[in-house]
Amino acid sequence: MKIDRRSFISLGVGVVAGTTLSPVPWKLMDDISIWTQNWPWTPAPKGGADSYKTSVCTLCPGGCGIQVRKIMDRAVKIDGLPEHPINQGKLCPLGLSGLQFLYGPSRVKSPMKRTGKRGEGKWQEISWDEAISAVTKKLKELREKDKPHSVAWVSGADKGTIPQLIGRFLTAYGSPNFIRPPSVHDAYELSAYLMQGQEGSVAFDIENSDHVLSFGTGMLQGWGSPVRMLNIYGEKRDSKKIVQIESRLSDTAAKADQWVPIKPGTEGALALGIAHVMIKESLYKKSFINKSAFGFEDWTDDNGTRHIGFKTLVLKDYDPEIVAEITSVPKSTIEKLARRFARANRPIAISGRGEGLLPGSLDECMAVHALNALVGNINKPGGVSVTSEPDYAKWPEVNIDKTASRGMQQPRIDGAGGSKYPNARYLLHRLPEVINDTKGESPVQALFVSEANPLYTLPDTKATKAAFDRIPFLVSFSSFMDETALYSDYILPNHIYLERYEDVPKPAGMVQPVIGLAKPVVKPVYNTRHVGDVVLQMAKSLGSFIEKAFPWKDYRAYLKTVFKDHWDQLEDKGFTEVKASEDKPWANRFNTATGKFEFYPSARKHPSKKDKDKDILPGFSPVPIEGKPDAYPLVLMPYDSIRLTSGNIGNPPFMTKTIDDTVLKDQTMFVEINPKTARKMGFFEGDRAVVTTPKGRAEVRLHLFDGIEPGVIAMPKGFGHTAYSKYLAGKGANFNSLIGPITDPMSGLNTAWGIRAKIVTA
Amino acid sequence: METTPLIPQGVKRCSKLQFSLWMAVAVAVLLWGVYAMYLVWFKGLNQTNMNDAYGFALWIWADLAVIALGGGAFFTGFLTYIIGKDKLKNIINYAVIIGFICYSSALLILAIDIGQPLRGWFIFWHANEHSMLTEVAFCLSCYFGVLTIEFLPTIFENPKLDKIPFLHHLSHNMHSIMAVFAATGVFLSFFHQGSLGGVAGVLFGRPFSYREGINVWPWTFFLFTWSAAACGPCFTILITWITEKLTRKKLVKDDVIQLLAKISGWMLATYIIAKIADTLYWAMVTAPSMGFNLMDFYTNNPVYGIWILILEIVICGIVPAAILITRKGRESKFLLMLAVVLAVVGVCVNRWVMVLQTLAVPVVPFEEWFMYAPSWQEVATTILPVAYGVIVISLAHRYLPVFPQERELNPSN
Amino acid sequence: MKEEQGDKHTKRYGMVIDLDKCTGCGACMVACYAENNVPFKKNETDKLDSLNWIRIFQLTNGRSYPDTEICYLPMPCQHCDGIGKHGHPPCVSVCPAIATDYDYSTGVVSQIPTRCFGCRYCMAACPYHARKFNWWDPVWPADTEKYLNPNVSARMRGVVEKCTFCFHRYQQARDKAYLEGRDEIYESEYQPACAQACPTNAITFGDLNNPDHAVYKLKNSPRAFRLLERLHTNPKVYYLSSKSWVRRAGDNYLENESRPESNRQKIHHK
Repeated sequence: MKIDRRSFISLGVGVVAGTTLSPVPWKLMDDISIWTQNWPWTPAPKGGADSYKTSVCTLCPGGCGIQVRKIMDRAVKIDGLPEHPINQGKLCPLGLSGLQFLYGPSRVKSPMKRTGKRGEGKWQEISWDEAISAVTKKLKELREKDKPHSVAWVSGADKGTIPQLIGRFLTAYGSPNFIRPPSVHDAYELSAYLMQGQEGSVAFDIENSDHVLSFGTGMLQGWGSPVRMLNIYGEKRDSKKIVQIESRLSDTAAKADQWVPIKPGTEGALALGIAHVMIKESLYKKSFINKSAFGFEDWTDDNGTRHIGFKTLVLKDYDPEIVAEITSVPKSTIEKLARRFARANRPIAISGRGEGLLPGSLDECMAVHALNALVGNINKPGGVSVTSEPDYAKWPEVNIDKTASRGMQQPRIDGAGGSKYPNARYLLHRLPEVINDTKGESPVQALFVSEANPLYTLPDTKATKAAFDRIPFLVSFSSFMDETALYSDYILPNHIYLERYEDVPKPAGMVQPVIGLAKPVVKPVYNTRHVGDVVLQMAKSLGSFIEKAFPWKDYRAYLKTVFKDHWDQLEDKGFTEVKASEDKPWANRFNTATGKFEFYPSARKHPSKKDKDKDILPGFSPVPIEGKPDAYPLVLMPYDSIRLTSGNIGNPPFMTKTIDDTVLKDQTMFVEINPKTARKMGFFEGDRAVVTTPKGRAEVRLHLFDGIEPGVIAMPKGFGHTAYSKYLAGKGANFNSLIGPITDPMSGLNTAWGIRAKIVTA
Repeated sequence: METTPLIPQGVKRCSKLQFSLWMAVAVAVLLWGVYAMYLVWFKGLNQTNMNDAYGFALWIWADLAVIALGGGAFFTGFLTYIIGKDKLKNIINYAVIIGFICYSSALLILAIDIGQPLRGWFIFWHANEHSMLTEVAFCLSCYFGVLTIEFLPTIFENPKLDKIPFLHHLSHNMHSIMAVFAATGVFLSFFHQGSLGGVAGVLFGRPFSYREGINVWPWTFFLFTWSAAACGPCFTILITWITEKLTRKKLVKDDVIQLLAKISGWMLATYIIAKIADTLYWAMVTAPSMGFNLMDFYTNNPVYGIWILILEIVICGIVPAAILITRKGRESKFLLMLAVVLAVVGVCVNRWVMVLQTLAVPVVPFEEWFMYAPSWQEVATTILPVAYGVIVISLAHRYLPVFPQERELNPSN
Repeated sequence: MKEEQGDKHTKRYGMVIDLDKCTGCGACMVACYAENNVPFKKNETDKLDSLNWIRIFQLTNGRSYPDTEICYLPMPCQHCDGIGKHGHPPCVSVCPAIATDYDYSTGVVSQIPTRCFGCRYCMAACPYHARKFNWWDPVWPADTEKYLNPNVSARMRGVVEKCTFCFHRYQQARDKAYLEGRDEIYESEYQPACAQACPTNAITFGDLNNPDHAVYKLKNSPRAFRLLERLHTNPKVYYLSSKSWVRRAGDNYLENESRPESNRQKIHHK
């Protein structure tokens, strides 16, 4: 065969044309690319009818209104509810992550009974009937042994209808041990009670204030109602000056008009130093002090004993010169702070560290509150006021039997309200200590935990675990496999907030009495049950007078009864304003013994019974932190980040994703250290190290940060989970495992703000 | 009946065993690369150490480098068929084979590098004519076709294949129109080599690589073509020398090499002058207008010091150019080989910095330098073409009459 | 004139982020994940292997305790108008397959994941690292697949993605306006998820060409600056800061070179 040029070319053309015209390669190429655009393992979300349901977010006590976008029966997005008075359409990262809780990997999908060792994670799914009868069997057993008071219930909140239902259940059953986890509001409420004689929640009218003097309050890091605070910051930024007193350049300090670095733990002294300048320079509001205050000047009691007043104490002991020494804040700064604060139109002073999960020192809180009194902005717009609880949830007294009555007369296990700590209401942090110190049988025979995660949030994790090991019966009502749920004997999973009804009380710190209603926006995703319904069913199962104390068909019926006239608006809009019957927040009414604002709180009791004036008046005595300086040369402090939850709700994957790589790298967290301190110790950015405190140790990395005082190191709260899912567990260390509680002998509150520590190379 | 040998007549080849062992080693390396390729294709680009700052990394460097080195094919073709340097016919076959290997490797690496290989053809179907990469893809594919056509006659000259009359005639016909293909190749190469330069040069968000230029073509467009034309033949010379060393015989006459070296030398010399001018203008005008001093690009990081600029321009630019344009330098075997090695390294360094240093330099003022080291999968898939090249060259050399002067230079005893 | 402000029909959607207000809370990032079906992995600490269409940077003034200052800077895609007349952002012209596009009616730089074949040239072109690559197959554990937004397709492994200014919301708003017989869509009708969520209202979004929109005025504030203006990327994301060190941190300057505030003004107004 001979090929000439012509046949060569025609052959070439023929081959090319033949292939091109054959559809096979082209079709195949096209089909394969279409397949890559529709990979079966890459989900294609289905469309459908679009709807919005309004509700309230209860992931924190902030009480923000939300609107949930739904496609058919799926919830696909949570946004802020524009018309809601608290958040005005805005939302924090936690609220925005809500659907990750609803559909996420850490949910408990059914009632469960432990089959392995505690904490091992071996479970058997059981029915709700089995679960409730197992729990009531135990409760009956304890009553038969005449030990109803050995039952304790840790509830995440004490306000609202569910905690009240639980409280009523405990009362009917015969236990005084309803315990709420600690918060900074313990200190606020106690200060207000002692100095103003008012019981209720303390509100800070920051919206209308023009000068905010914050003693370390994490106003932009989750304190109070976080979105309300951020909203105020964004909207009224220009109309107020913010001064942040803190030893670390926190997000709040960074955004403040002025950051006043201070030696940690000495904030109370600074408050008194400021008071000194105000009194000395006569910058305080005389009209208020003369007319409405007691204990400012020296006074003589009925027995003729001479007492010193706040003025004498402050002028004598808290000269700025001395305070500068204590706090390391220069004298001139103290004077300027005092003058600016006093000369502002509506100044307000706030105490409390970070997000506010620690009560802190009562003295410090009272000292700061005294500043508010000095400028006379108590119960005034732009000031501090106390709002009593709205009285919408009042029911007939419970008729109880003798066993229950005997139980109710027993002292609380945590010691709150007892002879030692008469002013405290709940002291959860003392529970491990009490249990561990008791010889023989544990005073707690059954512990119920709802909307709380004490195994994670209580200081000194080791001691808490040891105490829990001694409690024979542990029941968790958690929706999530948190540390406490993982350690329980039974889990009776609650619906999450998007699946249940629940009233949402006025958020902490707010003046406006907004009540919200969380409503089910989707059908329960798993085999969970409303904790309110479970309580009612438990009561029913216990029978007799206990059953009678709960005459409601279910929780919703009960809730409807409670809200009566407000129900329709709540159902419709998701929020309403409910005022206590005679509540006038701006009324200058003090219910103290003297009927005045008491700088010298006559109700303040000292357990030693040898009350000295100095112990009664707000003063400053340094809170000793654990550890000897020679063994532990550094001071370790926690810090709160709004991108990292540190309470009972574990951080959702979305929020963990936002965390900077100078806070968490792979599974290791960073501890912040001043470059000077690091240099002295031979450390560089990113170095691996071990932090040791008297309570524990943690492997960390170091982040050199100029915004922290030399000699102080700081770590974020919220890491070190051992439960939840792989998206959270095993990341970083839990600050609570490195610190122990320090109980204030006067109030019983936990005042630990840090602990001494050392760092060595890993 | 007499059987036709597989090996061309009159040349000496190593034993089958020796050849098999040699091939086994190459195939083992190849398979390692193939395994890495499999991992990348099936698990995705998470097998690499690339990240959002390093969208381009080792592979794109390898692409740019092999295409520059494969530039020997088009430029030698240009000299042979268009300028009419007939002497170079003695090396053109090899230049074409090296080019073929380089270009097929580049295409393979591209197929590994893209996140959706099965949609790779979108670059043709949904082509964006403004993109330098589109131009690269079109020219590269077309030129690869040209190289294949240029390679085919040599394959058909295998004694066994040559026996088939069809292939014999086909080969003959193709030879006679080779100049047309060579011209097409030169045209295509000018554009895609340039476009590869344009890839980095047009990035006005990247002050390290951005260059001004003429119309839509940044200066790097011309510099890349030029440097490929200068250094590609150096690579051909280098590979020829290595082949000679490995086979222990002379394959190409010195005067052929000298001619190619001389032309390369002048290309390199002129290139490096242009490159210096470009660098000066960039350092003194372009970069400062974007807020950068020259030394901002060469400090505050663990790798990229000013040494790399000196290496590229002085040691691997001026020095080899000086050697190659002087007769004495060219004629010293040592200096000649030193020069071609430096030139090859130089063009590779140039492609490296234009891809990787471009991405390493922080542009957003509050970001830091971005550092990168390839994963083993990237290294393996980059070595894969080397093994593949060794195999193709070994087969070609064993079975094809690649070097016309081989018989003359190695008369059989 | 860099900006075609005269043309009433051409919208140029843009964003003004007030850094004085931003507290770095991260709500914008989470709102974006939730709205745009952004997946998550066990380890998201390698920020160069973490899909974030908007990411918050922490800037410091570099001074030591106690003179340290920090500033948070959220960085979405800058939706550059690009060099010369608008329509040529660094990333768009380089895409070989027209998988990214400049929408002339809105100024939004879009990305079509099903068209993209993952060459990543656009990522090399973008100086802001606004473009992210799907290095991994996205996985939604447990029942989280249920919360996916049907208006935004989930991206497959091997393609580039980026902030779209929630363009699907624009399309929805436009459709709604059309049904109601309106030509214009209201400012409040089209807001991206980040702006909607921002608890401090630091993010303002709207048509930079429309004098009735808040961004129109804000962008001309003396506090305003843009990132890397000297590259002539001509971004539609503006930042506001009262601190000069922050404004200076928005661009590169030679040593001893002062920030030419007046130049910036020139670029904006004529």
